[in-house]
Amino acid sequence: MKHQTLAAERRSKTILSVVLGVICVIYVLPVLAVVINSFKLNTFVKTNTFDLPSGEMWAGWDNFIKGMTFGNYPFWKSALYSVLITVFSTFLILLFTSMAAWYIARVNSRLCRLVYYLCVFSMVVPFQMVMFTLSKTADSLRLNTPWTIPIVYLGFGAGLAIFMFVGFVKSIPLEIEEAAAIDGCGPLRTFFSVVLPMLKPTLISVGILEIMWVWNDYLLPYLVLDINEYRTIPIHIQYLKGSYGTVDLGATMALILLSIIPVIVFYLLCQKHIIKGVAAGAVKG
Amino acid sequence: MKKILALTLALVMALALVACSGGNNTPAEDTTPADETSAATGSVYWLNFKPESDDALQQLAALYKDQTGVDVKVVTAASGTYSQTLTAEMDKSAPPTLFVIGNANSVKDWSDYALDLTGTPIAEQLNTDAYNLYDDSGKLVSIGYCFECYGIIVNPDLVEQAGHSMDELKNFAGLKAVAEDIHANAATLGFDAFTSNDMDSSSSWRYTGHMINLEYYYEEQDAGAKWTECPPSLTGAYMENYKNLYDLAVENSLVDRTSLATGGHDAEAEFKNGEAAFWVQGSWEWSAVADSVPNATMIPYYCGVSGEENAGLNCGTENCWAINAKASEADQQATMDFLVWLVTDPAASRIAVDSFGAMPYKNAQESTNGFLAAADAYAADGCYVMDWATNYQPGVDDYRAAAVSALNQYNASPSDANWENVKTAFIDGWAVQYKAQNG
Amino acid sequence: MNKKIKKDNSLIRQTRRWSPLFMWPVVAAFIIGFVWPFIQGIYLSFCKFRLIRDAEFIGVGNYATALQDASFRHAFWYSALFAIVSLVLINVLAFAVAYALTQGIRGSNLYRTVFFMPNLIGGIVLGYIWSMIFDGILSRYNTSILMESKYGFWGLIILICWQQIGYMMIIYIAGLQAVPEDMLEAAKIDGATKAQTLFKVTIPNVMPSITICTFLSLTNGFKLFDQNLALTAGQPITYVDGAMVKSTEMLALNIYSTFYNSNSVYPGVAQAKAVLFFILVAGLGLLQLSYTRKKEVQQ
Repeated sequence: MKHQTLAAERRSKTILSVVLGVICVIYVLPVLAVVINSFKLNTFVKTNTFDLPSGEMWAGWDNFIKGMTFGNYPFWKSALYSVLITVFSTFLILLFTSMAAWYIARVNSRLCRLVYYLCVFSMVVPFQMVMFTLSKTADSLRLNTPWTIPIVYLGFGAGLAIFMFVGFVKSIPLEIEEAAAIDGCGPLRTFFSVVLPMLKPTLISVGILEIMWVWNDYLLPYLVLDINEYRTIPIHIQYLKGSYGTVDLGATMALILLSIIPVIVFYLLCQKHIIKGVAAGAVKG
Repeated sequence: MKKILALTLALVMALALVACSGGNNTPAEDTTPADETSAATGSVYWLNFKPESDDALQQLAALYKDQTGVDVKVVTAASGTYSQTLTAEMDKSAPPTLFVIGNANSVKDWSDYALDLTGTPIAEQLNTDAYNLYDDSGKLVSIGYCFECYGIIVNPDLVEQAGHSMDELKNFAGLKAVAEDIHANAATLGFDAFTSNDMDSSSSWRYTGHMINLEYYYEEQDAGAKWTECPPSLTGAYMENYKNLYDLAVENSLVDRTSLATGGHDAEAEFKNGEAAFWVQGSWEWSAVADSVPNATMIPYYCGVSGEENAGLNCGTENCWAINAKASEADQQATMDFLVWLVTDPAASRIAVDSFGAMPYKNAQESTNGFLAAADAYAADGCYVMDWATNYQPGVDDYRAAAVSALNQYNASPSDANWENVKTAFIDGWAVQYKAQNG
Repeated sequence: MNKKIKKDNSLIRQTRRWSPLFMWPVVAAFIIGFVWPFIQGIYLSFCKFRLIRDAEFIGVGNYATALQDASFRHAFWYSALFAIVSLVLINVLAFAVAYALTQGIRGSNLYRTVFFMPNLIGGIVLGYIWSMIFDGILSRYNTSILMESKYGFWGLIILICWQQIGYMMIIYIAGLQAVPEDMLEAAKIDGATKAQTLFKVTIPNVMPSITICTFLSLTNGFKLFDQNLALTAGQPITYVDGAMVKSTEMLALNIYSTFYNSNSVYPGVAQAKAVLFFILVAGLGLLQLSYTRKKEVQQ
């Protein structure tokens, strides 16, 4: 009797596994479609979307070359700026918000509470509410370059980060810091050599969320950056699709492929952290 | 609480200071040379709206910098995004000194920011007042820097190969007979009548902005005078004529009309490769086709209006310079100097004319544009010039987008009901947009 | 006890001295990036302007115009419908996948990796990928995603499911893994069927995850922008009763195009729409907060 149910359960698990496997294959099809169309001549992308780029449809690497040199703006530049902005913004957010969060959680003055509640409040404010005025403010303060736009990201992204860090700091027992203080550590050393290492899991969570946000963000850099000099990858793709006479879909797909390859590599390398980070971020947010 | 407020304020001020000084301390990355030089000589920032002229303008900017040392920054908005780019750029700390006010709609929006050009050195270089725009108070808001024409581009060699003569193309009946004959025999001829006519953002304006001009123009004629401002509504009396020509162009073309909504065709390549004899386009394509189809010429929008044997091409411009009234005097002066140089310097005006078509300035170089030559030939024969009434389209972005939507439905199934929707979009839509804009 | 407070105070007092380093950078950036634009945004919603520096106070006129705008009202109902449909689909499917993946089947990790992957692709790019796919299918039937609002609607639903199921799945998996083993064991011993266990034990235990995911997908649905812009940008457009309606335009896109389209009266109206939008989204957020609070009290 028991044997039978076990066998049945094993069988149903196998079926489930197969079904999910099939869904997975369907799930990656859109990405495969990008891959095959990036090697296809433009005229065939809309008509033979799901055929392999064989014979007369084959465009080779032309789409990539065209996509990377299209429209007076080299692709490598936008890729470089995307990386620069993402790395710098994430670094800035992690460093300053973790410091501020520790200060808020420990000092807990009226100002701290005010800042904290403002941060929580900012999490529910949609970007459209501030986009017009933010782009103006950012411009008049010269925050329109890849080197300065991280300040805007720090400001607009502070909410979630501070919220998550404060939640975590509050769960750390004060005794450890007190011990450090007794050993003669000033607040600065206490923070960097005692608190920060303990924050590591939250740092990773917040870092992942910020990287995903900044890397894929389109509207904020589009409105804030000096668009003629600096473009990020999403802006570049939007430009390619929306301008310069005939839209070359083959080249667009080639660029899209180039822009998602690093993301997928990054994901495969740190997927454990990413998934953990997302779970943590969501549960708290 | 007061303390907090004071602290916050102090912070903001401190930060602003830091940000400003930071800006000045990094000349290496400085994107706004205006700051460094404006006090002395001023500089030029041209917000351009034609992607296809970008190369030529960058070349001109470099040339001017070489000759005079004055910085000219040219920024080109992606097609379809000019108005939003302008709105964003004008609000910035270093706004454009030179921008485009090309139609009635933007005169309304931007005349407050445009310098009155009456009697300025650049206005004195003009050889006609035909392409200038004035606001309600009579201020000269912007001046045309080039003019263009549109109609139907023809490859005469193909027309003759198909056993027809260009003389047959004198009215809609003649055009229709030739086009339908070519289309019917496309397989044996190896080419078709019309190029593809995509309705995606890359080329839908050929129908929603240009071809529709025939409707406006004849309506304008019926009213007895050229529009001087946007009329609150249209009668739609010539929509049938628009339908004639539109149907002819999409029915007798290389591609099925049902595939136009998704786009992805390359009309320019089709025309250049001799795959089609007709292409609904404008004079700005001359430099693109002149090498492959040196005999290319342009015929008017024949659409079945009586007396259209005397029609000429659609001539006008959306290319009008306006100088930012809120820019510093030095920058305004620098911009003015640059413009005068552009229309008088032989080398510069050569580049400009080759890119733009023709420039209405006394000392500018002659145009080599074959399509503009065709426009002149029609005019010389006494044909009427169809002016660009299309420049009055109210709420132009939405208006055209709605028309594209209706034309897509109509292409998918060319029924009478769907044609009614096209009419609604063009005619009723005009009134709706007018009302939204003028209350 | 007394001693401890004293010690605390000394630590805090020390820390306070370092506030310029710990607090001010964030506060300054926060003011630039959020507080000031927010306040200015509220003010401008009562103004008529083309450029911010020329703003002129006109009272609540912008709000009246915004509420009378048929395209804005349509965008609201369309967003609401979209948010609710996507909420149901995403959560049901994500929960189902998460449940399946926690049954200890082979390949769970691989599947989880694949399902989460679309989340890393940006909205603009997603929109273009799917617009190619939908048009590739629809062009066989001589139509396009831009032709009918129902294609645009379901297309966006498919896109958003593809993107967000993986995300919600992760949250559900975390919730499911936290269901106490002994409760499941007890149910098994009591002879409960799988369905009974699921509804009587598992689901009540993952209620917090369900709440989070519900509100996340609801607010995400309302706030959607990039995907909407890249997939249909509001097409098809029709005229209904003398008003223009962009049939697949959602709130965020409506606000965006009101800001940046060519029309001299619009920026103030757009800012007013943005304030209304903010009240809606913030309202949903507060609702979530009070709901979770109540649940916590009950537990």
